[in-house]
Amino acid sequence: MTTSKKTSSRAACALLAAVLGMGTTPAWSGAGQPGHGHDAAPAQGHMMGGQGMPGQMMGTQGMPGHHGAAPAIGGPGKAADVTRTIDITMQDNFYEPAEIAVKAGETVHFKIVNKGTLLHEFGLGTAAMHAAHQKEMMVMMEHGMIEADRVNHERMKMSHGPGQMAMSHSHGADQGSVLVEPGKSAEIIWKFPKEATLEFACNVPGHYESGMMGPIRIK
Amino acid sequence: MRRLMLAALAAILLAPATARAGTYDLTIGTAAINVAGKDQTAMTINGSIPGPVLRFKEGEDLVINVTNTLAEDTSIHWHGLILPYQQDGVPGISFPGIKPGETFTYRFPAQQAGTYWYHSHSGMQEAVGMYGALVIEPKAREPFRYDREHVIVLSDWHPDDSPHKILSNLKMSADYYNYQKRTLSTFVDDAGKMGLGAALADRMDWGDMRMLPSDIADVSGYVFLANGRNTEQNWTGLFKPGERVRLRFINAAAMTFFDVRIPGLKMTVVQADGNNVRPVPVDEFRIAVAETYDVIVRPTEDKAYAVLAESMARTGFARATLAPRMGMAGDIPANRPKQYLTMADMGMAHGDMAGMAGMDHGTMGQGATHTMPDGSTMAGTRHEGQGMTHAMPDGTTMKGESHAGHSMPAQPTHTMPDGATMAGMDHSAHGAPASGDKADPFYAPGSGLMPKAAEGGKFLSYADLKAIKPLYPDRPAAREIEVRLTGNMERYVWSINGVKYSDAEPIRLKFGERVRFKFVNETMMTHPMHLHGMWQILDNGSGKYNPAKHTISIAPGKTVEADIEADAEGEWAFHCHLMYHMATGMFRKVVVERETAEAVR
Repeated sequence: MTTSKKTSSRAACALLAAVLGMGTTPAWSGAGQPGHGHDAAPAQGHMMGGQGMPGQMMGTQGMPGHHGAAPAIGGPGKAADVTRTIDITMQDNFYEPAEIAVKAGETVHFKIVNKGTLLHEFGLGTAAMHAAHQKEMMVMMEHGMIEADRVNHERMKMSHGPGQMAMSHSHGADQGSVLVEPGKSAEIIWKFPKEATLEFACNVPGHYESGMMGPIRIK
Repeated sequence: MRRLMLAALAAILLAPATARAGTYDLTIGTAAINVAGKDQTAMTINGSIPGPVLRFKEGEDLVINVTNTLAEDTSIHWHGLILPYQQDGVPGISFPGIKPGETFTYRFPAQQAGTYWYHSHSGMQEAVGMYGALVIEPKAREPFRYDREHVIVLSDWHPDDSPHKILSNLKMSADYYNYQKRTLSTFVDDAGKMGLGAALADRMDWGDMRMLPSDIADVSGYVFLANGRNTEQNWTGLFKPGERVRLRFINAAAMTFFDVRIPGLKMTVVQADGNNVRPVPVDEFRIAVAETYDVIVRPTEDKAYAVLAESMARTGFARATLAPRMGMAGDIPANRPKQYLTMADMGMAHGDMAGMAGMDHGTMGQGATHTMPDGSTMAGTRHEGQGMTHAMPDGTTMKGESHAGHSMPAQPTHTMPDGATMAGMDHSAHGAPASGDKADPFYAPGSGLMPKAAEGGKFLSYADLKAIKPLYPDRPAAREIEVRLTGNMERYVWSINGVKYSDAEPIRLKFGERVRFKFVNETMMTHPMHLHGMWQILDNGSGKYNPAKHTISIAPGKTVEADIEADAEGEWAFHCHLMYHMATGMFRKVVVERETAEAVR
């Protein structure tokens, strides 16, 4: 784990695709998830090359970081406030480092690289949020939106069958979660709250259960 | 500091390269056990059932001294291990066996990691207690994490009959142990459900085949054990709430397939037959005889959880308990309703991965005839779909086109024996984990064995198993060998390609070749086929991520294909792991040999 005072001149970019055909949100969406003003399609932290998703580029600073009545897990931070960079390596199926310690209220720049052969997520949240998110990602996998080693952007954009609502997603650097394909990398700038019981986790089906999660200690 | 480390490193590098050895002494003998309300004699390894858990590290030498105190020959086979064939422990193939009073030393390097097991390969000693777990810790970090682990060896024990008595009973009458014959009253029930004509036709079909539709297991009356304990004796593994627990399941039964679940816990399958697979969260899985599965569970509550292994024939449970303290017991539910085989299990639908048509009673005379286990032929099935091989009465085969990697036409419907139609499977999502109770493509559509999770949710399918790191680069097989699984139920003789072991030539493989075994199950039983010394790479449609297994279970009426990399010279056993199928001839010797100038001449 390396930490440095160096701040990235570049805020993490999030690709936001408008989700088509939004209907009601699935029952499990919102169960302990941060309420967000809009449902963002997965925003791979600017590393998903060549997929040409429709949507607009937005900097994370421009995001309304409003998190409703959800547990306080913090929110997107400003590049200028970053006091530390933490490198996260994702392997099949574990993180290096295995745990993270941050200071209360600190803004941290996470640089995440996937050195495994499978698709992985780096997500910040409470255990309950991760549990809800696992159900969501299981459905995403069943619908072919994510595969074992890639995100299927076409399927991500499709709504599934007549009368079905499109999936809502809670991936995006602005929401403290990135999906990273093998060999790719991503970044998140996150401002942590004063206190919270948080975990970083991969909610790709089976990965959290295999132990691909770790505690975030706020001191 | 750095200099010290360098010096230490140099010392390590200069040290002679000798692998350390893990040494065990095993004594084969007898002991009294009481799992059925009376003291009975079992054959044991170091006095216990199962034998001790043998633990090794990848890369070290295994040195195992086996001393035979029995009055008969014995042997130990290291199930699933890659080793020189002389160390494989099969009397008459690898070595002569271990004589009474003799000590035999096995010595070979651990070339792999994972959960394996060991058992006698002499006579039917395995059926009376000679089995145990073997665990090899990996050099590299595993793709999962756990705080503690437990080995759970499942097995069956017959309280009434010795293996030899069981075999002679089966020879006398193949349905000797079939307690579930359908009676007039069930006929009346069926007639109510299916209509009289359909019920009669169904009965007549079964009658023609001289089979009973209830034969899910050949032998009943078993007591089921978890780590050698029956349900009352309740083997218990401890945990602290919140811990991740790795459970290493091994099916060491003689004849019993188990459906395993832990009510209240999701299990994440991380290994199959010792090889890491992409993690699959499941609610239940079926473990064939001789297979192993490793799962991770995370019990969070301060309570007892029942580990339930229900026999596939629904005759009982092996039960273990996971608990925060000793003295607790997980609840045992009622058995699920008995399952019966259906027409689909008659071998009418030699489907492949893509799930094929069932019978169509309305269209007699089209399509191939099938050679039935009793040697008679049966005509008149209509097959929708392509890519099937049919055994013709003269023993030749008729091939359809190969199906590998093709998706089926969407949603064919199948006409079921009762005239109902059943939608086919949608294969468009091939490779995505099936959710809920979608039909498992490794069972005939409409099969009485179709797995279904007891409490709803996900039942593991072979289709879900995908290697994390393939052991071999993917390449096309140079040739295909058809392995028809055959038998004569009437005489209780089991065979491969219609020939029993004592009459058969060995299967010869060329060292270095990749061969495709095409298993065609023409019987009504499920056969877990085990190849010694080499992996069978199961073709479940995952391409280069097809999983490598030592034991592949083939359901009735199914065709399953697997590739073998013939990278182990020598003579190997290849057989159905059901004790009484192996004993009556469902067995082959496989010879892997280098091509020499003399052989090529």
